[in-house]
Parts: sequence; structure tokens; C-alpha cells
Amino acid sequence: MRVFTTMIYREMKRFIRSKARVIGSLINPVIWLVLFGKGWAGAFNFPGASMIFGGVDYMTYLVPGIVAMTVFNMSFIQGITIIWDKQFGFIKEILVAPASRGEAILGRITGGAIMAMIQGVIILALSFFIASGLKLSGVLPALALSFLVGLAVAGMGVAIAMRMSSMEGFQMIMTMIMLPMTFLSGAFYPVKTMPEWMQWLAKVNPLTYAVDGSRYYLAGVSPAFSLRTDWTVLTGLALLFMGIAVVEFRKATID
Amino acid sequence: MEYAVEVENLVKKYGDFTAVRGISFRVRRGEIFAFLGPNGAGKTTTVHVLTTLLKPNGGTAFVAGHDVVREPMEVRRRIGIVFQDPSLDRELTAYENMYIHGRIYGYSGEGLRKKIERLLKFVELWEFKDRPVKFFSGGMQRRLEIARSLLHEPEILFLDEPTIGLDPQTRAHIWEYIRAMKEEQDMTIFLTTHYMDEAEQLADRIAIMDYGRIIAEGTADELKKLVGNDVIYLRMEEPEEGVKCLNADFIRGCKVMPDGRVRLDVQNAGEAVPKLFELAQEKGVRILEVTYHRPTLNDVFLHLTGREIRDEGGEQSTARMIMRARMRRR
Ligand SMILES: Nc1ncnc2c1ncn2[C@@H]1O[C@H](COP(=O)(O)OP(=O)(O)OP(=O)(O)O)[C@@H](O)[C@H]1O
Ligand SMILES: [Mg+2]
Repeated sequence: MRVFTTMIYREMKRFIRSKARVIGSLINPVIWLVLFGKGWAGAFNFPGASMIFGGVDYMTYLVPGIVAMTVFNMSFIQGITIIWDKQFGFIKEILVAPASRGEAILGRITGGAIMAMIQGVIILALSFFIASGLKLSGVLPALALSFLVGLAVAGMGVAIAMRMSSMEGFQMIMTMIMLPMTFLSGAFYPVKTMPEWMQWLAKVNPLTYAVDGSRYYLAGVSPAFSLRTDWTVLTGLALLFMGIAVVEFRKATID
Repeated sequence: MEYAVEVENLVKKYGDFTAVRGISFRVRRGEIFAFLGPNGAGKTTTVHVLTTLLKPNGGTAFVAGHDVVREPMEVRRRIGIVFQDPSLDRELTAYENMYIHGRIYGYSGEGLRKKIERLLKFVELWEFKDRPVKFFSGGMQRRLEIARSLLHEPEILFLDEPTIGLDPQTRAHIWEYIRAMKEEQDMTIFLTTHYMDEAEQLADRIAIMDYGRIIAEGTADELKKLVGNDVIYLRMEEPEEGVKCLNADFIRGCKVMPDGRVRLDVQNAGEAVPKLFELAQEKGVRILEVTYHRPTLNDVFLHLTGREIRDEGGEQSTARMIMRARMRRR
């Protein structure tokens, strides 16, 4: 356990150290929430509009999506920045230590997911001032779902980064993975009115299930999948990606 | 167990390139052993195999009595390493880097705090303990890495080019730490370097490595005996062809260097220099500059390979015992 907790401690220290970056990364979801959200909330302010969004106003509909997106983005970045550990050599410190590599990397992933969650909590707290229909009772289960997606995606980030040799592909991966997954998650609009092929892609996107479940808990919108499906899929994906990350990290060597 | 490191026929390939071509050597407990060799000799590769980070393609290696392939965990428990390239977390402070290392190696609480304080004071970084490492100079980072590698009291410490790229003062400083470490803790130290002075200053025994092979091994004195001679460098004024290499029975070897100087191997430079001036006078050659020195490890390398160890720093001249005599005829 000591290596696991030490890696979480490290993520925490790095997180605190990079206040500017943390605040900077909160700007993105705030822009979505305020500018995008308020803009469309005005447009969808006609009678019957709430029918499109499962019976709630657009702002309330949007918030769970933005919170999940925040955790999703942040934990992916937390995971993939293990490439900096490769680049700056810290990874050698771990590889040469008499400690379980699996435990070390799970600590790294968990730490990343926790730091991403903290940012999600900040966004959610702000949202209560902007959106009127949010349910306080739904906060904990919604965050738990976000945490699962955070674990899955941080694991995915690590697994990808372990196969990258430089930061070169970083920008491309961000655009190729993050942006489509965000739009295909139902965070901004319902999955069920998407074209068939997009719905199909949405279903293989872990973020979709986090958005779906937390939208039920926070806004009371009835889920597109069953809650049981949301929890099962996210738990499964978290385990799967963490497993892949462990395997990749165990066989890591230096070159 | 008498040996800290025992290596037999070790081979390491990268694809179809063989970086380490079957080396064998032993490091005794408590000694400082140096791998001296030019860039690309295979020093780092060997260190990475010995520290369980790379799997060898052939041969065996035992570190602290354990096989690096079959018992990597046992080896890792007993070694410390300062890598050639940085391995600190640049975002964290010196203290946090030490703390995380301590935790990973199973230390905690007040004991860990005291150890960190002692070591950071040892490398004179205590006053910078709360500064993020990214603001540290190269020398400070190196010192921190040394402190970190000592935290878990390893039996065997690997230092891969501990002073590469540092200024002479910092290098001398780090040498002091290394000597102090050895004295205080009776640790075995395995050092790699391409600085001859470093090997000579620190190591009890030296293995000279070139193109993946160990080409000589012994104490600095033993190695120098391989050359056997003192070396004199002469610069002469417009020497005519034929007199470039002076001929006399006390001259054992003569070679014209690319820079135009003439290199002479003699038994005893002190006696030979006056004779050389006589000889030059006879032949009507003006000697402009005489340099002589006892054989250095560079001469040993030159003797064995016909090449020099490329020395990037300017420290060569400070390391050598150089006698200069500038003679000018009016
Ligand atoms: N990952 C790698 N893939 C392919 N070749 C490599 C790799 N690492 C090292 N080499 C090659 O193996 C040889 C030995 O390299 P190594 O780093 O062990 O040398 P070294 O003695 O430490 O040199 P230096 O003084 O430059 O550190 C070199 O020719 C180098 O180019
Ligand atoms: Mg090297």
C-alpha cells in the first residue's frame, strides 16, 4: 500500500504546485457552462423545449455533462502526462525501486482521477449558482460515476502514453480522442436523437455512461440506459483500462 | 560473499547492434570501481543491465550476490543509482523528491525526516529544500540525486557519469562527497566516466571499456605500466623533413602528432630533456616548446586503441602534471 499512497501523494503535490495550470484548466468547462450553456438556454426557452431534454431546462440538462466532461478531460491529461515522467526521467526512479510496479501505476492513476475529481467538484459547485434544477442529493452518486470514468480514462491515458516515445503525438491525441469523445457522450445533446452511426459510437464511449447516470442523479432525467448498465459499464471499463495500464507498465523498460 | 558485482560474458544487443560484447569483471566489496571509456563504449548499457532495467542477451551478472535476471527485486533492494540522465521530479521540491523516495523504499515518519535533513545537509542543499527542482542548476540537481540515492543506504551505489557536463569546481565537490560516502559507509561504488581524471582520482580499480569490450583492467598505476614510458611532446621550429623524429638510443618511440608536435616515448623524461636539447643543437633544430608528463590514462587508451578518449571538458590540462619549458633563441 505504501507505494500506492506515495504515488497519490505525489499527484497531490504536483497538483498543488501547478495552481496556475489547474485554474487555467477550469476555464474551459466554465466557458462551456456559461457561454455555451447560457446561449443555448436562451434559445431553448420556448414552451415544450424541456421535452427535448428529458423534462428539465437546458442549463440543468447541461451541467451533469460538463462535470463529467471536466473529470474526463482532466483525468485523461493526468494519465497521459506520464509521458513527461518518461521524458524527464522520473520513471526510472520507479522502475529501479524494489516496489510493485502495478501498485505504483495504480497509485498514479488513482491520484490522477482524484485530482480530476476535485476539479469536477469545483465545476459542480459553481453550477449550483447557474442552474436551478440541480439536486443536492444526487451529488455523491454523480461524483462516484465521474470517479469511475476518471479511473478508466486515466488508465487509458497511461496505456497510450506508455506506447508513445515523445510528446509529439500529444496534441493530435487530444484532438482525435478528447474532442470526439466529448461530443459523442450526450453531454450537450441527447444520444437518442443522434444519427444512427453516432449513437453507435456513443455507446462505445465510456463518457456516455457517466453523463447518462449523473444526469439522472443530478437533474432527475430518466436514464437512456439503465442505471445498472451505467454502473456496470463504467466499473468494467475502469478495471479494464487499469488492467491494461498495469500490464503495459510492468513490462516497461528504458531505452 | 566477497564480490559486490560479478559479471561473466555479459552481452547486450539493441536490435542487431551489439552494445556490450561479452564482458567479464568483478567488483570487490567496499571498493570504488570505475568504468572508463569514450562515448558509446557501452558503460550505461552495462549499468542498466546491472541495475535490472535492461535484460541481457547473454552471460550472467550477479549484484550483491543476486542474479539480475532471476532475482531483480533482491538486487533492487540493495542498490542505489544515480542515472546519467536526470530522474528527478522537476515539479516537486528537493525535500519532496527525497520524501517520495524514502516512502517508496519503506521509510516514514520522524526517522525519514531526520535522514532527509542529514543527507540534504551533506550535499549542501538543506537551505534549498523547499525549492522546486526545476529551478536548480545542473550541479544542484546532481547533488540532490546523489543524496537521494543514499537515502535507503544501498550496499552498492551505481554512479553513471556523476559529473558529466559540470564545471570543475562542482566536479571537485562531488568527488569529495563520493570519497566521504565511501569512508563513512563503507559502500561499494560502481562508477562510469569518460573523464580520466575522475577515474584516477576516485577509483581503486579501473576497467577501460571501448566498443563494448573491456580492453584493460587494474589500478591506475598498473594500467600506466602498460605504456611504460614517460611522454615528451616537442614543438620545433620549421623542422626539415627527416629530422622531425629525432633519433637517439634513449628515444623508444616517436610519432608526429596531427598538430605538428612530435611525441617521444622515453624511459625518464627528466634525464631525456637535456639530452634532447643537445641533440637539437647538433642538428641545428630549434625547439620552441617542450611538454612532458608521466603516462596518463589517456596515454594508456591511446596505447591500447590508437585513439584518444574524447575529452569534452577542459579539465585535461588541470589533471595532468605538466612541465612547461619555453625556449627561444634570440
Ligand atoms: N536504446 C538504444 N537503442 C539502440 N542503440 C542504443 C540504445 N542505447 C544505446 N545504444 C547504443 O549502444 C552503444 C552503447 O551506448 P551506451 O549508452 O551504453 O554508451 P556509454 O558508454 O554510456 O556512452 P556515453 O558516454 O555516451 O554515455 C552506443 O553505440 C549507443 O548508440
Ligand atoms: Mg553513458
